[in-house]
Amino acid sequence: MTCGDVAQLLDAFVDAELPAPTLLAVARHAGACPSCDVAVRALTTLHDSIERTAREDADALDLSSVWPAVEQSIERGESRRRWMRRAQRVPAWGLALAAAASAFFWFQAPAPLPAPVHVAARVRPNQTVIERINSDSPRFELRRERKLGTTLIMVSTDGEEISR
Amino acid sequence: MNRAGRPALIGAAAVSYVIAAAALCQAVDVQVTTVRALEHGPSDAQLVALRPRLRRLVGYRSFQVIGQEKRRCAWQEREAFDIPGGRLLHVEPRGMRDQAVVMRVALLDGERTLIDTDVRLQNRGVMLFGVDTDSRVPDGALIIMLKAEE
Repeated sequence: MTCGDVAQLLDAFVDAELPAPTLLAVARHAGACPSCDVAVRALTTLHDSIERTAREDADALDLSSVWPAVEQSIERGESRRRWMRRAQRVPAWGLALAAAASAFFWFQAPAPLPAPVHVAARVRPNQTVIERINSDSPRFELRRERKLGTTLIMVSTDGEEISR
Repeated sequence: MNRAGRPALIGAAAVSYVIAAAALCQAVDVQVTTVRALEHGPSDAQLVALRPRLRRLVGYRSFQVIGQEKRRCAWQEREAFDIPGGRLLHVEPRGMRDQAVVMRVALLDGERTLIDTDVRLQNRGVMLFGVDTDSRVPDGALIIMLKAEE
């Protein structure tokens, strides 16, 4: 094992990634070679320093609000998916509801009103209402037949008493 | 006529037809039947059903039709019906109210107005006008039957 071999294997040695025989061989050389020992120690110090800094940064991380935020996001997504599923079901559901409502209102529609009850006398087929009447004749009579309501306006042309 | 003018002519004819049809719909059928009432004699067959009613109202026993006219009268238009013996019956349908035809009816004898009245006659109903002691109907009376039907 030479100093050049150690320089090539130095990073793997510090990271303990070398096979056991090679690891022992590098360690024996560094123990006997002051320059390689300094190089190993320097690299190990750097390695430890980086590891410590990384650990401190990791410890400094506050993850307490991460999971609630993740859970909230998951819940929002789930809620959105639920509404989407409901919205997809709306057409059939809405149609069914509209049909049911139509049927309800159809059957609830008021039945034709019964014929009004005429409290007054029934209208007779020939019923006549005289709203105004004038005559140049001095005599005229109004006669009315009860059964059909037929009305006769009888006038005398000569002013004489109407004979019948 | 050229091809371009034909559609316009057809359209105008259609519009005229619709207007005429609408005008005809806005009318009422008026029937005036003049009857001579006498103390004695036979009665017309067409008056057999009416005879008891006429007898009760008018008081005579014999009834004979001497004139009959049916005309489609437009609303608000006065129509003059000739009555045998030279009289005129003016009928002016004014409208419908409560299933009755509202009209103005005037019976004229020359310059003389024997009757001038506003009546409301049940649709398809009949009303009567009588002229008694009429020199033109010796020993009898003249009865005018007025029927209006929308």
